[in-house]
Amino acid sequence: MSAEENPAAEPAPVIDVQGDGRWMSQECKDAEPDVLFVGDSMVQLMQQYEVWREVFSPLHALNFGIGGDTTCNVLWRLQNGELENIRPRVVVLWVGTNNHEHTADQVAGGILAIAQLVLSRLPRSKIIVLGLLPRGEFPNPLREKNAAVNNLLRASLPQLGPVQFIDVGGSFVHSDGAISSRDMFDFLHLTASAYRTISTTLHELLLQMLEEMPQERRASLV
Amino acid sequence: YENRVVIAFLYVLILQHNRFVSDSKGKEPDVLFVGDSLVQLLHEFEVWRKLFSPLHALNFGVGGDATQHVLWRLVNGELDHISPKVVVLWVGTNNHGHTPEQICGGIMAIINVIHQKLPHAHTLVLGLLPRGKSPNPLRERNASVNALVQAEVASLSHVSFLDMDPGFILSDGSIAHQDMYDYLHLTPQAYQKVCQPLHERIKSLLDKHAP
Repeated sequence: MSAEENPAAEPAPVIDVQGDGRWMSQECKDAEPDVLFVGDSMVQLMQQYEVWREVFSPLHALNFGIGGDTTCNVLWRLQNGELENIRPRVVVLWVGTNNHEHTADQVAGGILAIAQLVLSRLPRSKIIVLGLLPRGEFPNPLREKNAAVNNLLRASLPQLGPVQFIDVGGSFVHSDGAISSRDMFDFLHLTASAYRTISTTLHELLLQMLEEMPQERRASLV
Repeated sequence: YENRVVIAFLYVLILQHNRFVSDSKGKEPDVLFVGDSLVQLLHEFEVWRKLFSPLHALNFGVGGDATQHVLWRLVNGELDHISPKVVVLWVGTNNHGHTPEQICGGIMAIINVIHQKLPHAHTLVLGLLPRGKSPNPLRERNASVNALVQAEVASLSHVSFLDMDPGFILSDGSIAHQDMYDYLHLTPQAYQKVCQPLHERIKSLLDKHAP
Protein backbone atom coordinates (compact mmCIF):
# COMPACT_ATOMS: atom_id res chain seq x y z
CA MET A 1 0.00 0.00 0.00
CA SER A 2 1.65 3.23 -1.09
CA ALA A 3 1.36 6.47 0.82
CA GLU A 4 -1.13 7.75 -1.73
CA GLU A 5 -3.38 4.79 -0.98
CA ASN A 6 -2.81 4.62 2.75
CA PRO A 7 -3.59 7.69 4.85
CA ALA A 8 -1.94 6.04 7.86
CA ALA A 9 1.36 6.16 5.98
CA GLU A 10 1.11 9.83 5.17
CA PRO A 11 3.46 11.88 7.34
CA ALA A 12 1.66 14.63 9.21
CA PRO A 13 2.62 16.91 12.08
CA VAL A 14 0.10 17.46 14.85
CA ILE A 15 -1.75 20.71 14.33
CA ASP A 16 -1.77 22.91 17.42
CA VAL A 17 -5.49 23.29 18.02
CA GLN A 18 -5.10 23.84 21.75
CA GLY A 19 -2.81 26.84 21.48
CA ASP A 20 0.38 26.15 23.44
CA GLY A 21 2.56 24.61 20.76
CA ARG A 22 3.44 21.62 22.91
CA TRP A 23 3.79 19.03 20.19
CA MET A 24 6.39 20.93 18.22
CA SER A 25 8.47 21.70 21.29
CA GLN A 26 8.88 18.17 22.53
CA GLU A 27 11.93 16.02 22.10
CA CYS A 28 15.38 17.03 23.17
CA LYS A 29 18.32 15.06 22.03
CA ASP A 30 20.88 15.16 24.75
CA ALA A 31 22.46 11.79 24.34
CA GLU A 32 23.99 9.35 21.91
CA PRO A 33 21.52 6.56 22.28
CA ASP A 34 22.12 2.89 21.62
CA VAL A 35 18.39 2.32 21.78
CA LEU A 36 15.73 4.69 20.50
CA PHE A 37 12.13 4.33 21.68
CA VAL A 38 9.63 6.03 19.43
CA GLY A 39 5.84 6.11 19.48
CA ASP A 40 2.88 7.44 21.38
CA SER A 41 1.97 7.80 25.06
CA MET A 42 2.70 4.13 25.68
CA VAL A 43 6.34 5.05 25.04
CA GLN A 44 6.22 8.52 26.58
CA LEU A 45 4.72 7.50 29.90
CA MET A 46 7.24 4.69 30.37
CA GLN A 47 9.94 7.25 31.00
CA GLN A 48 8.06 8.66 33.98
CA TYR A 49 8.18 5.40 35.87
CA GLU A 50 11.08 3.91 37.85
CA VAL A 51 11.35 1.04 35.37
CA TRP A 52 12.85 3.38 32.77
CA ARG A 53 15.66 4.48 35.06
CA GLU A 54 16.30 0.93 36.25
CA VAL A 55 16.02 -1.05 33.03
CA PHE A 56 16.30 1.14 29.94
CA SER A 57 18.50 4.10 30.89
CA PRO A 58 21.42 1.74 31.48
CA LEU A 59 21.06 0.67 27.84
CA HIS A 60 21.52 4.32 26.78
CA ALA A 61 17.97 4.67 25.66
CA LEU A 62 16.32 7.81 24.31
CA ASN A 63 12.58 8.30 24.52
CA PHE A 64 10.77 9.92 21.60
CA GLY A 65 7.24 9.09 22.64
CA ILE A 66 4.52 11.72 22.32
CA GLY A 67 1.04 11.15 23.70
CA GLY A 68 -1.70 11.08 21.10
CA ASP A 69 0.60 10.42 18.17
CA THR A 70 -0.58 8.35 15.24
CA THR A 71 1.58 6.57 12.68
CA CYS A 72 1.37 9.74 10.56
CA ASN A 73 2.79 11.90 13.33
CA VAL A 74 5.64 9.49 14.09
CA LEU A 75 6.45 9.23 10.41
CA TRP A 76 6.59 13.01 10.14
CA ARG A 77 8.85 13.33 13.18
CA LEU A 78 11.28 10.72 11.94
CA GLN A 79 11.41 12.32 8.50
CA ASN A 80 11.85 15.80 9.94
CA GLY A 81 14.88 15.65 12.17
CA GLU A 82 14.50 13.02 14.84
CA LEU A 83 16.82 10.56 13.16
CA GLU A 84 19.44 13.17 12.43
CA ASN A 85 22.80 12.84 14.14
CA ILE A 86 21.98 9.72 16.10
CA ARG A 87 22.78 6.13 15.33
CA PRO A 88 20.86 3.90 17.68
CA ARG A 89 21.59 0.23 17.23
CA VAL A 90 18.01 -0.76 18.02
CA VAL A 91 14.82 1.19 17.46
CA VAL A 92 11.79 0.23 19.50
CA LEU A 93 8.58 1.26 17.77
CA TRP A 94 5.23 1.36 19.58
CA VAL A 95 2.44 3.26 17.82
CA GLY A 96 -0.94 2.67 16.22
CA THR A 97 -3.51 2.65 19.00
CA ASN A 98 -4.42 6.31 18.31
CA ASN A 99 -5.08 5.83 14.58
CA HIS A 100 -8.83 6.21 15.05
CA GLU A 101 -9.62 7.23 11.51
CA HIS A 102 -7.84 4.29 9.91
CA THR A 103 -8.65 0.65 9.37
CA ALA A 104 -6.50 -2.14 10.78
CA ASP A 105 -4.97 -2.67 7.32
CA GLN A 106 -4.07 0.99 7.07
CA VAL A 107 -2.59 1.10 10.57
CA ALA A 108 -0.42 -1.94 9.90
CA GLY A 109 0.66 -0.30 6.64
CA GLY A 110 1.57 2.85 8.53
CA ILE A 111 3.70 0.91 11.00
CA LEU A 112 5.41 -0.90 8.14
CA ALA A 113 6.13 2.42 6.46
CA ILE A 114 7.81 3.66 9.65
CA ALA A 115 9.90 0.49 9.90
CA GLN A 116 10.94 0.88 6.27
CA LEU A 117 11.90 4.50 6.84
CA VAL A 118 14.02 3.61 9.88
CA LEU A 119 15.82 0.85 7.99
CA SER A 120 16.54 3.17 5.10
CA ARG A 121 17.97 5.88 7.37
CA LEU A 122 19.73 3.51 9.76
CA PRO A 123 20.70 0.53 7.61
CA ARG A 124 22.69 -1.19 10.34
CA SER A 125 20.02 -0.94 13.00
CA LYS A 126 17.49 -3.49 14.14
CA ILE A 127 13.89 -2.80 14.97
CA ILE A 128 11.56 -4.12 17.62
CA VAL A 129 7.89 -3.45 16.94
CA LEU A 130 5.62 -3.79 19.95
CA GLY A 131 2.13 -5.07 19.32
CA LEU A 132 -0.80 -2.85 20.12
CA LEU A 133 -2.26 -3.58 23.53
CA PRO A 134 -5.86 -4.51 24.20
CA ARG A 135 -7.79 -1.56 25.62
CA GLY A 136 -11.06 -0.77 27.32
CA GLU A 137 -12.35 -2.45 30.44
CA PHE A 138 -14.46 -4.98 28.52
CA PRO A 139 -14.36 -6.43 24.99
CA ASN A 140 -14.98 -3.68 22.46
CA PRO A 141 -14.30 -2.89 18.78
CA LEU A 142 -10.92 -1.25 19.47
CA ARG A 143 -9.63 -4.48 20.97
CA GLU A 144 -10.61 -6.34 17.83
CA LYS A 145 -8.99 -3.72 15.67
CA ASN A 146 -5.71 -3.71 17.60
CA ALA A 147 -5.60 -7.51 17.48
CA ALA A 148 -6.15 -7.38 13.72
CA VAL A 149 -3.27 -4.91 13.37
CA ASN A 150 -1.04 -7.25 15.36
CA ASN A 151 -1.92 -10.22 13.16
CA LEU A 152 -1.07 -8.25 10.05
CA LEU A 153 2.23 -7.11 11.56
CA ARG A 154 3.14 -10.62 12.65
CA ALA A 155 2.80 -11.75 9.05
CA SER A 156 4.42 -8.85 7.25
CA LEU A 157 7.20 -7.45 9.46
CA PRO A 158 9.64 -10.36 9.18
CA GLN A 159 9.79 -9.76 5.43
CA LEU A 160 11.50 -6.43 6.06
CA GLY A 161 14.57 -8.06 7.51
CA PRO A 162 16.02 -7.18 10.92
CA VAL A 163 12.62 -6.48 12.45
CA GLN A 164 11.14 -8.40 15.36
CA PHE A 165 7.53 -8.24 16.45
CA ILE A 166 6.62 -8.86 20.07
CA ASP A 167 3.17 -8.92 21.57
CA VAL A 168 3.34 -8.00 25.24
CA GLY A 169 -0.41 -7.68 25.75
CA GLY A 170 -1.12 -11.34 26.49
CA SER A 171 -1.43 -11.12 30.26
CA PHE A 172 -3.79 -8.15 30.49
CA VAL A 173 -7.11 -9.65 29.46
CA HIS A 174 -8.52 -11.93 32.15
CA SER A 175 -10.67 -14.98 31.59
CA ASP A 176 -13.86 -12.91 31.93
CA GLY A 177 -12.65 -10.57 29.19
CA ALA A 178 -11.97 -7.72 31.61
CA ILE A 179 -8.83 -5.64 31.98
CA SER A 180 -7.91 -4.56 35.50
CA SER A 181 -7.35 -0.94 36.45
CA ARG A 182 -4.32 -2.22 38.33
CA ASP A 183 -2.77 -2.88 34.92
CA MET A 184 -4.27 0.02 32.96
CA PHE A 185 -5.42 2.83 35.21
CA ASP A 186 -7.76 4.17 32.52
CA PHE A 187 -7.96 0.94 30.52
CA LEU A 188 -5.57 2.39 27.98
CA HIS A 189 -2.42 3.52 29.76
CA LEU A 190 -0.25 1.20 31.81
CA THR A 191 0.42 1.42 35.52
CA ALA A 192 3.91 1.16 36.95
CA SER A 193 3.47 -2.53 37.69
CA ALA A 194 2.17 -3.31 34.21
CA TYR A 195 5.20 -1.60 32.69
CA ARG A 196 7.38 -3.83 34.82
CA THR A 197 5.60 -6.88 33.47
CA ILE A 198 6.14 -5.95 29.83
CA SER A 199 9.64 -4.65 30.37
CA THR A 200 11.05 -8.04 31.23
CA THR A 201 10.41 -9.47 27.77
CA LEU A 202 11.42 -6.28 26.03
CA HIS A 203 14.60 -5.95 28.06
CA GLU A 204 15.65 -9.52 27.33
CA LEU A 205 15.12 -9.05 23.63
CA LEU A 206 17.03 -5.78 23.65
CA LEU A 207 19.99 -7.32 25.43
CA GLN A 208 20.00 -10.18 22.96
CA MET A 209 19.91 -7.85 19.96
CA LEU A 210 22.56 -5.51 21.33
CA GLU A 211 24.85 -8.44 22.06
CA GLU A 212 24.49 -9.69 18.50
CA MET A 213 25.53 -6.39 17.02
CA PRO A 214 29.11 -5.14 16.96
CA GLN A 215 29.32 -1.71 18.54
CA GLU A 216 30.19 0.90 15.93
CA ARG A 217 33.33 2.84 16.60
CA ARG A 218 31.93 6.25 17.46
CA ALA A 219 33.07 8.88 14.98
CA SER A 220 32.78 12.38 16.35
CA LEU A 221 29.36 13.68 15.39
CA VAL A 222 29.99 17.26 16.45
CA TYR B 1 -16.70 2.67 10.88
CA GLU B 2 -16.12 6.01 12.63
CA ASN B 3 -19.39 5.67 14.55
CA ARG B 4 -18.12 2.45 16.07
CA VAL B 5 -15.05 4.30 17.31
CA VAL B 6 -17.07 7.16 18.80
CA ILE B 7 -19.37 4.68 20.51
CA ALA B 8 -16.37 2.77 21.85
CA PHE B 9 -15.00 6.01 23.31
CA LEU B 10 -18.24 7.02 25.02
CA TYR B 11 -18.62 3.47 26.24
CA VAL B 12 -15.20 3.66 27.90
CA LEU B 13 -15.93 7.00 29.58
CA ILE B 14 -19.26 5.83 30.90
CA LEU B 15 -17.66 2.66 32.21
CA GLN B 16 -15.02 4.72 33.98
CA HIS B 17 -17.75 6.86 35.53
CA ASN B 18 -19.71 3.77 36.54
CA ARG B 19 -16.60 2.34 38.11
CA PHE B 20 -16.12 5.51 40.17
CA VAL B 21 -19.74 5.35 41.32
CA SER B 22 -19.50 1.70 42.34
CA ASP B 23 -16.05 2.27 43.91
CA SER B 24 -17.57 4.97 46.01
CA LYS B 25 -20.13 2.58 47.46
CA GLY B 26 -17.44 0.45 49.08
CA LYS B 27 -15.19 3.15 50.46
CA GLU B 28 -15.32 5.88 53.07
CA PRO B 29 -12.81 8.44 51.92
CA ASP B 30 -11.96 11.49 53.99
CA VAL B 31 -10.58 13.20 50.91
CA LEU B 32 -11.86 13.06 47.35
CA PHE B 33 -9.72 14.22 44.45
CA VAL B 34 -11.69 15.05 41.32
CA GLY B 35 -10.55 16.51 38.01
CA ASP B 36 -8.61 15.76 34.86
CA SER B 37 -5.39 13.90 34.00
CA LEU B 38 -3.34 15.92 36.47
CA VAL B 39 -5.47 14.28 39.15
CA GLN B 40 -5.63 10.88 37.47
CA LEU B 41 -1.89 10.52 36.92
CA LEU B 42 -1.14 11.59 40.48
CA HIS B 43 -2.56 8.24 41.53
CA GLU B 44 0.05 6.34 39.53
CA PHE B 45 3.14 7.73 41.24
CA GLU B 46 4.77 7.03 44.61
CA VAL B 47 3.67 10.42 45.92
CA TRP B 48 0.05 9.23 46.11
CA ARG B 49 0.93 6.26 48.26
CA LYS B 50 3.18 8.36 50.51
CA LEU B 51 1.14 11.53 50.96
CA PHE B 52 -2.49 10.89 50.08
CA SER B 53 -3.35 7.26 50.74
CA PRO B 54 -2.64 7.83 54.44
CA LEU B 55 -5.29 10.57 54.36
CA HIS B 56 -7.84 8.03 53.04
CA ALA B 57 -8.11 9.67 49.67
CA LEU B 58 -10.07 8.55 46.62
CA ASN B 59 -9.10 9.57 43.09
CA PHE B 60 -11.78 10.41 40.52
CA GLY B 61 -9.53 11.99 37.91
CA VAL B 62 -10.26 11.41 34.22
CA GLY B 63 -7.77 12.39 31.57
CA GLY B 64 -9.13 14.94 29.11
CA ASP B 65 -11.98 16.07 31.32
CA ALA B 66 -13.03 19.70 31.11
CA THR B 67 -15.30 21.40 33.65
CA GLN B 68 -18.51 20.23 31.98
CA HIS B 69 -17.41 16.59 32.16
CA VAL B 70 -16.52 16.78 35.84
CA LEU B 71 -19.82 18.55 36.49
CA TRP B 72 -21.72 15.78 34.71
CA ARG B 73 -19.93 13.08 36.71
CA LEU B 74 -20.62 14.70 40.05
CA VAL B 75 -24.27 15.37 39.21
CA ASN B 76 -24.69 11.79 38.03
CA GLY B 77 -23.67 9.71 41.00
CA GLU B 78 -20.03 10.11 41.93
CA LEU B 79 -20.87 12.00 45.12
CA ASP B 80 -23.95 10.02 46.07
CA HIS B 81 -22.46 7.36 48.31
CA ILE B 82 -19.57 9.07 50.07
CA SER B 83 -19.04 11.84 52.64
CA PRO B 84 -15.50 13.11 52.27
CA LYS B 85 -14.51 15.99 54.50
CA VAL B 86 -12.41 17.61 51.82
CA VAL B 87 -12.94 17.62 48.05
CA VAL B 88 -9.90 18.60 46.05
CA LEU B 89 -10.90 19.99 42.65
CA TRP B 90 -8.38 20.39 39.84
CA VAL B 91 -9.91 21.03 36.42
CA GLY B 92 -10.05 23.68 33.72
CA THR B 93 -6.91 23.31 31.62
CA ASN B 94 -8.74 21.17 29.05
CA ASN B 95 -11.54 23.72 28.47
CA HIS B 96 -10.42 24.52 24.96
CA GLY B 97 -12.38 27.24 23.25
CA HIS B 98 -13.76 28.65 26.50
CA THR B 99 -12.99 32.07 27.91
CA PRO B 100 -11.49 32.45 31.40
CA GLU B 101 -14.91 33.72 32.58
CA GLN B 102 -16.60 30.61 31.22
CA ILE B 103 -14.04 28.29 32.77
CA CYS B 104 -14.39 30.07 36.11
CA GLY B 105 -18.14 29.71 35.76
CA GLY B 106 -17.72 25.99 35.16
CA ILE B 107 -15.55 25.62 38.24
CA MET B 108 -18.06 27.58 40.33
CA ALA B 109 -20.87 25.35 39.06
CA ILE B 110 -18.91 22.30 40.22
CA ILE B 111 -18.30 23.92 43.61
CA ASN B 112 -22.04 24.53 43.95
CA VAL B 113 -22.92 20.93 43.13
CA ILE B 114 -20.38 19.68 45.66
CA HIS B 115 -21.86 21.97 48.28
CA GLN B 116 -25.40 20.81 47.52
CA LYS B 117 -24.51 17.14 47.69
CA LEU B 118 -21.99 17.40 50.53
CA PRO B 119 -23.03 20.37 52.66
CA HIS B 120 -20.40 19.61 55.29
CA ALA B 121 -17.44 19.21 52.96
CA HIS B 122 -14.77 21.79 52.28
CA THR B 123 -13.76 22.22 48.66
CA LEU B 124 -10.14 23.00 47.92
CA VAL B 125 -9.78 24.38 44.40
CA LEU B 126 -6.35 24.03 42.89
CA GLY B 127 -4.97 26.69 40.58
CA LEU B 128 -4.35 25.81 36.96
CA LEU B 129 -0.72 25.36 36.07
CA PRO B 130 1.14 27.14 33.28
CA ARG B 131 1.72 24.95 30.21
CA GLY B 132 3.58 24.87 26.93
CA LYS B 133 7.33 25.13 26.59
CA SER B 134 7.29 28.88 25.85
CA PRO B 135 4.89 31.75 26.63
CA ASN B 136 1.57 31.17 24.90
CA PRO B 137 -2.11 32.17 25.19
CA LEU B 138 -3.03 29.16 27.32
CA ARG B 139 -0.70 30.34 30.08
CA GLU B 140 -2.48 33.67 30.13
CA ARG B 141 -5.86 32.00 30.02
CA ASN B 142 -5.02 29.73 32.96
CA ALA B 143 -3.63 32.64 34.99
CA SER B 144 -6.83 34.60 34.34
CA VAL B 145 -8.95 31.65 35.43
CA ASN B 146 -6.97 31.44 38.66
CA ALA B 147 -7.43 35.14 39.40
CA LEU B 148 -11.19 34.95 38.74
CA VAL B 149 -11.69 31.81 40.82
CA GLN B 150 -9.60 33.11 43.67
CA ALA B 151 -11.75 36.26 43.79
CA GLU B 152 -15.04 34.35 43.64
CA VAL B 153 -14.23 31.91 46.42
CA ALA B 154 -12.77 34.52 48.76
CA SER B 155 -16.18 35.15 50.30
CA LEU B 156 -17.14 31.47 50.66
CA SER B 157 -16.30 29.81 53.95
CA HIS B 158 -16.61 26.28 52.58
CA VAL B 159 -14.16 26.83 49.73
CA SER B 160 -10.52 27.78 49.50
CA PHE B 161 -8.03 28.19 46.69
CA LEU B 162 -4.48 26.89 46.50
CA ASP B 163 -1.95 28.11 43.96
CA MET B 164 -0.14 24.98 42.77
CA ASP B 165 2.70 26.60 40.83
CA PRO B 166 6.03 26.40 42.70
CA GLY B 167 7.63 28.51 39.99
CA PHE B 168 7.66 26.26 36.94
CA ILE B 169 8.31 29.14 34.56
CA LEU B 170 12.03 29.81 34.36
CA SER B 171 13.64 33.22 33.93
CA ASP B 172 13.71 32.81 30.16
CA GLY B 173 9.98 32.08 30.08
CA SER B 174 10.39 28.39 29.42
CA ILE B 175 9.13 25.39 31.33
CA ALA B 176 11.60 22.55 31.82
CA HIS B 177 10.76 19.09 30.50
CA GLN B 178 12.14 17.78 33.81
CA ASP B 179 9.03 19.32 35.39
CA MET B 180 6.51 18.74 32.60
CA TYR B 181 7.63 15.99 30.25
CA ASP B 182 5.21 17.15 27.57
CA TYR B 183 4.81 20.72 28.83
CA LEU B 184 1.41 19.83 30.30
CA HIS B 185 1.73 16.77 32.51
CA LEU B 186 3.90 16.65 35.61
CA THR B 187 6.89 14.38 36.10
CA PRO B 188 7.10 12.47 39.38
CA GLN B 189 9.64 15.04 40.66
CA ALA B 190 7.30 17.91 39.84
CA TYR B 191 4.43 16.14 41.58
CA GLN B 192 6.64 15.91 44.68
CA LYS B 193 7.19 19.69 44.50
CA VAL B 194 3.52 20.61 44.18
CA CYS B 195 2.16 17.98 46.52
CA GLN B 196 4.03 18.94 49.66
CA PRO B 197 2.09 22.20 50.16
CA LEU B 198 -1.09 20.48 48.98
CA HIS B 199 -0.64 17.76 51.55
CA GLU B 200 -0.09 20.33 54.28
CA ARG B 201 -3.20 22.27 53.31
CA ILE B 202 -5.38 19.16 53.20
CA LYS B 203 -4.12 18.05 56.59
CA SER B 204 -4.93 21.40 58.16
CA LEU B 205 -8.40 21.34 56.58
CA LEU B 206 -9.00 17.85 57.96
CA ASP B 207 -7.88 18.97 61.40
CA LYS B 208 -10.28 21.89 61.34
CA HIS B 209 -13.17 19.76 60.14
CA ALA B 210 -15.78 18.98 62.76
CA PRO B 211 -15.58 15.28 63.71
